[in-house]
Amino acid sequence: MSFKKFASDFALRESNVDRNGSMWGQPPSAVRPGAARLSAMLFTAMAAVAVILPFSAFGQKPASVKTTEDLPSGSMQAKATTSCLECHEARIILQQRLSKATWAKEVDKMIKWGAVVDANDHDALIDYLSTNFSPDQPAYDPPRTSIEKPLGRNGEAKHAK
Amino acid sequence: MNSRRNFLRQMSGAALTVGAAPSLLSWALPNPQSGAIDVPGEDGLIVRSFRFVDLETPVEYFNTWLTPIPHFFVRNHMHEPSELNASDWRLTIGGEVEKPFSLTLSDLSKLETHSVVNTLECAGNGRSLHRPQVPGVQWGKGAVGTARFSGPRLRDVLQRAAVKPNGKHVMFRGLDEVPGKVPPFIRSIPIEKAIDADTLIATQMNGAPLTKHHGLPARALVPGWIGAASCKWLTEIKVLESEFAGNFMNPGYRFPNQPGKPGEAVKPEDTHALTALNVKSAISAPLDGTKVKSGRAAVHGAAWAGEADVVKVEVSIDGGTSWNPASLGHDKAHYAWRLWTYDWKAKTGDYTILSRATDSQGRSQPSTAVWNPSGYLYNAIDRVTIHVV
Repeated sequence: MSFKKFASDFALRESNVDRNGSMWGQPPSAVRPGAARLSAMLFTAMAAVAVILPFSAFGQKPASVKTTEDLPSGSMQAKATTSCLECHEARIILQQRLSKATWAKEVDKMIKWGAVVDANDHDALIDYLSTNFSPDQPAYDPPRTSIEKPLGRNGEAKHAK
Repeated sequence: MNSRRNFLRQMSGAALTVGAAPSLLSWALPNPQSGAIDVPGEDGLIVRSFRFVDLETPVEYFNTWLTPIPHFFVRNHMHEPSELNASDWRLTIGGEVEKPFSLTLSDLSKLETHSVVNTLECAGNGRSLHRPQVPGVQWGKGAVGTARFSGPRLRDVLQRAAVKPNGKHVMFRGLDEVPGKVPPFIRSIPIEKAIDADTLIATQMNGAPLTKHHGLPARALVPGWIGAASCKWLTEIKVLESEFAGNFMNPGYRFPNQPGKPGEAVKPEDTHALTALNVKSAISAPLDGTKVKSGRAAVHGAAWAGEADVVKVEVSIDGGTSWNPASLGHDKAHYAWRLWTYDWKAKTGDYTILSRATDSQGRSQPSTAVWNPSGYLYNAIDRVTIHVV
């Protein structure tokens, strides 16, 4: 395809977006925590989970179908949520399996990069992270993106020789 | 023309559409109990992070020479641009040049287009497999994919700007948005790589315009090098006298000059900036931990080597005691992976299957990858265990 065609596709996409664009608000990659629109979207989505899933004939477990995860409970949960999830979601933390010394380095790097951590909470935050996400914990099991265009009926793809 | 200005605001974002998911989940997903998140245009990928968007290709999709865009991994360090618009987009070329200038999309479209099939891999691919474990996105084996990238050559643009003799490095800046006080994602490449005929300002992947997750409308494409070199949402090219001094050049994306003891700190002066990828292979089938029927069976996978060519892939079905040559697929290109297959007769039992690639520089995959504090360039011999029934 020529770049000229590419430029015209741009315009086509634009009109598509204009028609449907109000559905989702800003792309989540750009959404900042606290944005009212995101909260409203998530609330609506969670309500949809609550309403639709009980009537689903397939009985899938809905528990993990969340766009973003929460941090584990504990006395530092709220403060860690405020300090860390301003910039990134909880999964980034949930998947780490690090020693206390490495967690300390990470926390200090993040403070340098703008994370707001009260000096009185510094050590407790490191304890919270290194207790919940230590090397001996089982690996985090991530979700997948849903499949709009499956490759095969059994979910398996053909392998080229 | 407000609509034109905002045409990308709503595009390509991930969104939750739970209602449609259960019927698909029941048969399409390998692991339906984990649930699925609807990210338009991104199908069946492992969600390492939703915000920022970091999505991994499951190894079972390493079964086509060109990775379909919906299955192509996505790596972001930052928020994607919240707004992009065609009329305002500019690419500026400046720094140590005689004639700085800027390009509109229309200008870019008039430049000669060149195509390169390239295997793009995140330097941190396989990070989760290093021991001891290291911080960062815990990629498994799938922060890698192969696509045909097309667009003008970077050197044509640099030539027009007339690089001064003291211009030795070329810096890229994208439109991604920095949270907090995080340093901007800016990196540079040496001028020799920048003027290589295969280094592009890519506007297309697999014949279609870049999607937003892959850097619409233009990205750098530095073939054979770590993915971080190929800056997305490109908006500025700046010629520098020396390597760009910023977090993502140093201390980020550096590798020990000599292998050290796993878990031990590495002095900054004993490291170098990452450039080309190393030699590597991955088994795409059978999947790890699965049961396979006895009889004729095949092991499939892909192998790649950055700027070098894969010359050999060997497969062991006995945990490394004996090795057998795999047959390499006929699709090939200088910077692209080779698909490979090994046929064998499977008898009932437990098997550890290994794959090992060797490249044109004589490099071969090691049994243990070189540990480093950020977990880059994991390339140990790949391994799956299966049970034949």
